[in-house]
Amino acid sequence: MATGRAYPNGNPALGYNPPGVRNTDSALPLHRGKPVVHDYACDGPAPGNLAFRWTYGSNVAAKNRDPRVQVVQYNEDTFVLRQNVCVHWEAPFTYLLFGNKGALLIDSGATANPAHYPLRETVDAIIARWARMRGRSKVPLTIALTSGEDVAQNQGLVQFADRPGTTIVPRPLELMKRFYGLGGTWPAANGRIELGDRTIAVIPTPGTHKDGVTFYDPYCDFLFTGDLLFPGKINIGNDRDFVASLDRLKAFAGAQSVKWVLGGHIEMMFVPGKYYPRFDTYKPYERILEMGPAVIDEALQYAREVQGKDMMLIRPDFVLFNGVSPDQRTKVWPEGVPNINAPRPF
Amino acid sequence: MDRRAFLSYNAAVAAIPLTSVGLTGLADAAAAAVRPTPIDFKSNLPAQGTFPARWICGSPSCMDNTDPPVHVHWYNAHTAILRQNKAYSYEAPFAPLYFGNDRVLLLDEGFVQLRNDWDLRGVVDQCIEDWCKRNDRDPASLELLVAFSHLHDDHYAATNQFADRPNTRYMGLTHEEMVGFWGMTNYPEERVTLDLGGREVLIWGSPGHVISEFAYYDSYTQILYTGDMFYRGRCYISFWEPWFDSMKRLIAFCDTHPVTHVMGCHVEISKDGQDYAYGMTYQPDEAPVQMTVQQLREAYAHAQKITKPGIYFTGTVFLCNQTRGTTTIDKNPYRYS
Repeated sequence: MATGRAYPNGNPALGYNPPGVRNTDSALPLHRGKPVVHDYACDGPAPGNLAFRWTYGSNVAAKNRDPRVQVVQYNEDTFVLRQNVCVHWEAPFTYLLFGNKGALLIDSGATANPAHYPLRETVDAIIARWARMRGRSKVPLTIALTSGEDVAQNQGLVQFADRPGTTIVPRPLELMKRFYGLGGTWPAANGRIELGDRTIAVIPTPGTHKDGVTFYDPYCDFLFTGDLLFPGKINIGNDRDFVASLDRLKAFAGAQSVKWVLGGHIEMMFVPGKYYPRFDTYKPYERILEMGPAVIDEALQYAREVQGKDMMLIRPDFVLFNGVSPDQRTKVWPEGVPNINAPRPF
Repeated sequence: MDRRAFLSYNAAVAAIPLTSVGLTGLADAAAAAVRPTPIDFKSNLPAQGTFPARWICGSPSCMDNTDPPVHVHWYNAHTAILRQNKAYSYEAPFAPLYFGNDRVLLLDEGFVQLRNDWDLRGVVDQCIEDWCKRNDRDPASLELLVAFSHLHDDHYAATNQFADRPNTRYMGLTHEEMVGFWGMTNYPEERVTLDLGGREVLIWGSPGHVISEFAYYDSYTQILYTGDMFYRGRCYISFWEPWFDSMKRLIAFCDTHPVTHVMGCHVEISKDGQDYAYGMTYQPDEAPVQMTVQQLREAYAHAQKITKPGIYFTGTVFLCNQTRGTTTIDKNPYRYS
């Protein structure tokens, strides 16, 4: 009774639901016998939000003390991870999705060294916590890349090499096609990754990379487009493939509901048509990550415009580079777009 | 010095009885009054010196960089060369610090403005203190000249850190102030001599990258410092005619004066001639900053054949003739057909 008087509302040092307890303030069910099975069927996109500002580096990169991996939870089964800009300027986004039978990690960051970029440690911690909440002892993990050849997305893969219960989609193009069952039908057909009541569609989208794929999550209604379509400088690898892939993506988005297109990076500023140069480690005026589905139509329209030409083309939410250096500049400004210069944070 | 050390440092000073402070103060003043033997900067030229085998050159992860903010390299006992850390600014300019009997010349102040971000002032003060200790001088007796090679912010950003430094003069940020600082009336042809106290630095105009730029020749080490107008990397030539004339002046100077090294402000090329793209923060296989007169002459010979805007590799440097706004060297590595 003495303890009861000291902590009339429960001892905060104790964990939730200790054995033998009969009443609890926790929302978690008591004495759960079976793992929680989540119902992923819902009308429209699953609720969630990206409620935090992304870390954006610092003027002096050596003094940056932001987290190396920024974790933002979109909803309880969807996580967005971002690499710190001062660890690698590409600052790629990595997505972690959970279903009733497993988890999917989309992309793996730009740095292999776990001391600099502890992706594995972070993912393990998220999965362990999620598994505890759901009463699961095992969560099989699949790791898939939006492009196996992209060094801004495949470097973290080595951290998972010896991870138990992990399937890594093979990186070589032919093996990857076979893994998705697309050996003969690439790029016309779609593959799938089953997470348990949450089936991720795999859409072949070569164009920026010859092994590019886009993932579609029917629970949150997201398209994970990687380097194909993101708010930044899109370096087209092959313009014919790029147009064809956007065409397929448009058809796919027309048949499914798409809430957001989520790319692999942010390079645009929040003023239209302005972007950060490569290798920048301080991006305080970044655009937000998410883009509406209309961006697919716009990208397709302007991809057709640059097709067959060596040129760059500025749009408010992205810039296309076809056959030119990634550092190419242009004096051509898109008509009807306000030309605003963000202040220089110096 | 961090905040904790700063606080305890002051406390320790305050604990010393006043009388002894007065005595040491007097002793210092007495020592300063006796003028030390001047250092001879005029015989046995050129003064020998060495460049480091490897400069600090960034790191794969900027926030895990463990190098000092400024790499201080003593080329010889009276010449320091500073380099900014790439994790503090990708421009990572080199900055010579020349010591004379009466004054010290600092050329270039890096690309970070605030002292609490990048303490260039502290590093320079420390260099001056070290030099004075070695040569038995009073740091307060030396005048510091804070100048820069040309009017670009990656070369003067930290100038304001010296604003409150006693016995210091710094160059203004306009063309007129820069030319006036060296007392020139006929820019860029006029060559003036700066006397650091027995050590002479020859200065003349070297426009082309920008209009407001100087070449500095130290008669003691015989290093010719060419700023951004000629360095091992992408020499962005904004104005071809003035640049070519500046090259002619450099060549004519090398014909009449002994030059040990030609030194620019940056390095953007690897040892095997690979270009490090603009903005990179890690250059693991960097070429040395110093170049030979022969390499300067080769570049000049190459430049004589250039008639159109474009990027030309001379074997040592890239001459980017009026291309800055439109073209670069790097390619998209993921192109396929």
